[in-house]
Amino acid sequence: MNEQSSKKILFNKSTLFSLKAELLRKQEEVKEKKQLPQHKVENFKPPPTKSSKKEKPIIDHKKTFKDSLKAVDTEEIEACRKAKKILEKKAELYEHLSDSSGNSELAGRFLVDFDSKKQQDTPVEISDYPEPPEEHFSERTEFTNDVDEWTEYTDCLGRTRKCLKSDVEMYIRRDKDLLKAMTGTVEEESIENEISENKTEKPLLVQKTNDYLRSLREKWEEKEKELLAKDRDIHYQDLLFDEARMHGVGYYSFSMDESERRNQMEELMKRREETLLAQKQAEQVRKKRDELMAARVAAARARQRARAGLPPEDPQEKREEFTQRLLQFLNEQKNEVDAKAREEEKRIKEEHEKERQKLREAYIREWDLGKEGIDDKVKKFKEMTQEEYVEQQRDKRIDEFAPPQATGSQNDQYFDERGKLVSFEIKNKTWDDVRPKTKTPPPPEIGDLTAMNEQKGLYFSTSNKQNIKYKNFVKSQEPTPILNELDDDFEDHRSNIDKRKHDSSNIEIEPPPTYEYYGPVPKQIRSEKPFYSDLREAYSQGAKSLESKSSNRQLSNKYDFMFD
Amino acid sequence: MTASEVSFNRKIISEDLSNVEFDTSEDVEVIPTFDSMGLRDELLRGIYTYGFEKPSAIQQRSILPIVKGRDVIAQAQSGTGKTATFSISILQSLDTTLRETQVLILSPTRELATQIQKVILALGDFMNVQCHACIGGTNLGEDIRKLDYGQHVVSGTPGRVFDMIRRRVLRTRSIKMLVLDEADEMLNKGFKEQIYDVYRYLPPATQVVLISATLPHEILEMTSKFMTDPIRILVKRDELTLEGIKQFFVAVEREEWKFDTLCDLYDTLTITQAVIFCNTKRKVDWLTQKMQEANFTVSSMHGDMPQKERDNIMKEFRSGQSRVLITTDVWARGIDVQQVSLVINYDLPNNRELYIHRIGRSGRFGRKGVAINFVKSDDIRILRDIEQYYSTQIDEMPMNVADLI
Repeated sequence: MNEQSSKKILFNKSTLFSLKAELLRKQEEVKEKKQLPQHKVENFKPPPTKSSKKEKPIIDHKKTFKDSLKAVDTEEIEACRKAKKILEKKAELYEHLSDSSGNSELAGRFLVDFDSKKQQDTPVEISDYPEPPEEHFSERTEFTNDVDEWTEYTDCLGRTRKCLKSDVEMYIRRDKDLLKAMTGTVEEESIENEISENKTEKPLLVQKTNDYLRSLREKWEEKEKELLAKDRDIHYQDLLFDEARMHGVGYYSFSMDESERRNQMEELMKRREETLLAQKQAEQVRKKRDELMAARVAAARARQRARAGLPPEDPQEKREEFTQRLLQFLNEQKNEVDAKAREEEKRIKEEHEKERQKLREAYIREWDLGKEGIDDKVKKFKEMTQEEYVEQQRDKRIDEFAPPQATGSQNDQYFDERGKLVSFEIKNKTWDDVRPKTKTPPPPEIGDLTAMNEQKGLYFSTSNKQNIKYKNFVKSQEPTPILNELDDDFEDHRSNIDKRKHDSSNIEIEPPPTYEYYGPVPKQIRSEKPFYSDLREAYSQGAKSLESKSSNRQLSNKYDFMFD
Repeated sequence: MTASEVSFNRKIISEDLSNVEFDTSEDVEVIPTFDSMGLRDELLRGIYTYGFEKPSAIQQRSILPIVKGRDVIAQAQSGTGKTATFSISILQSLDTTLRETQVLILSPTRELATQIQKVILALGDFMNVQCHACIGGTNLGEDIRKLDYGQHVVSGTPGRVFDMIRRRVLRTRSIKMLVLDEADEMLNKGFKEQIYDVYRYLPPATQVVLISATLPHEILEMTSKFMTDPIRILVKRDELTLEGIKQFFVAVEREEWKFDTLCDLYDTLTITQAVIFCNTKRKVDWLTQKMQEANFTVSSMHGDMPQKERDNIMKEFRSGQSRVLITTDVWARGIDVQQVSLVINYDLPNNRELYIHRIGRSGRFGRKGVAINFVKSDDIRILRDIEQYYSTQIDEMPMNVADLI
């Protein structure tokens, strides 16, 4: 390779050629790449510079964190320093060789022909890479907990580099020069534009986009003004404003001009009708053709059969027809039944729905209260007195279920307290005789009426009546507990029961199912106390306990009438 | 009082709704095609030209009850055609010969109200329907003139609508339907009063339709105050997230690193369109400025901007001129831009509902979407809670996230 080389190297000639070819190819490649637009200085766009002062410490932290993980090892640092020293020595030598390019005494010792290498370097390359890449720094970040001599930089090209702290100043200066040189070229090119420095940094594309956006905005504004200008119908197209939206296949962008739009609409209608008509006709034609074809096929088959001496096909066809008809008939019957069932179901559903609809119509929403027409609706609901309610219920009652009538019939038999049949005339008791005399009971109460009054929901009176609890139609009486007359120590039990009486809200607890309890107790004489049990009494007891429970329960504010 | 009556009454009293589980109503019919819904021809044409072919689950169930005049509470996953559901129902029940406001739609943001207006007009393109967006931040005089011109449907925000009603510019006597889009937001503390104010001006027993992707229990509890025996179409919360939206998180140690992560992701953002959510307007401004300083092209939008600017940014984003939008929760609900396929929660949302709405800006109507959450170490707990609440999966972001968009 180097003719002046003092050393003789043995090699195959073909390898030499292929090596040279490879070299040329690479050089060509480099040249080509340099021609690419992104490698041109004028197209250079500074990458995301982290120039703002606020942000600097942020990066600082990040790097420190990362590097503290990496380079804690002092040995490693030592090795690094060593490598650097060797590299520096090498660089010195290299520089010397390339400067003197073969004239040096040392030249003969190396395989690289520095002389020809220098000639190969084109001037363009020099301008493209004015300085070795390691030398551009615009920003630096120091390792805080690392070796002090080392710092990290971000140069104006966005690369992060490391170097000795002492060299930083020089590198930054060089970097600035480079930046100046680069922006200078851009400025030269766009002198005629005379745009501010800030803007020149932005690529042409951005400017163009901005211009386009501005024009779009203007267009939209105009359109909007137009929409507001006069009383006119507004359609979808008026509001689209270049929206990038996918529509259906049948989408047609109508004109924004009203009369034109109408014409287009009419045209579209006409076309649609035409299409429908055409479809219908095509269908008819097809049907006719199919019929014809079927007839012809049948005829052909008949002819074939005739030629073969077989009887005509008719009977089979008829048989088929019969089975078909039978099937059809059966199907029809089945369908009929199904349809009937469905109809019945539907009818029931409809009835149900009607009832619900009635309820819905009667329902008054809380937010509607006070609106016109609503107050009448509220007043329409009249609160009944207890008598009215009872009368209403009596009217509804089927006579057969009425209590026995006492007048003159055989039914005026009564049992006395001892269970003896007594027959005497009793007055047909009315409700008035039975009810408690002190208070007038209101209709069945639903929860706390005071809470309801605030809410004024459906079915509740708005008047502020006393909160009276509904009582059964019996005079209040002390409840009689069930006595266990069979027990050994009857007296003890009695006292127990008396105790229990006081917390009457509790339901009576059934006795233990033991032998002692139910077994024979011969020594005790049956109590003289008469069998005393009154159904009404027991019932009133139960109702009372329920009442006391329900009155404790406050209606939540969220409560509302629900249908389901 | 009979025993059964007693128990009946007690049942009512004990009906503390906080323990009641609200379920989808039983007798909800499912109608598999638009053709079999019995809609008017012009409306069907509008539906098909807009791009709908087969009704979505919510559309199959809700359209008919609304058309029948029932009160409806409809819930469905984000981007499954809820707006179209009530729009179709409204258009079906309109009397276009009567030039008076028959339907009032209220939504929480101006952009959403405008979008609904657009959908109504698109679906009703062949019906000659008139729909007005009655929103704040616009000229009052123009609003009045538009309403005077006669509008079948008014889609607006509560404040301006109430104003117009009080001025008697928006006459309510013919209104037969009130729609609350994003109903849970509308019935939340901030809006409920305003909704009540508007409701008081409507004829009694007006049909009410509530629509949202999220309907918390407390909202369902209060509906009987202004609805009558509503039909409910609900979605269980473990079915609320969409399969099509993949959810990821990026764990960062410090708040400052979120920015670097965002810069690293920028190329992914611009594959189609992306929305970045911050929790405050100030942070939106700050992030936008920082991104622009770093030479990234982004646009931003929040409630403190003048309406004109908001409109322009919306138009730019909708037209695809801008691809990355940094915004607040003003954008979280309902806004539909088909091309958005990536949502970034720069800050985690303040509640679980907002999470669903935010990630729902991507993956519109069956499209694919990706949501990336930036979480600081102490935020990860919140994210796990969200993950569990909706029974969904939020994995650490893979390297090939761009392939999923």
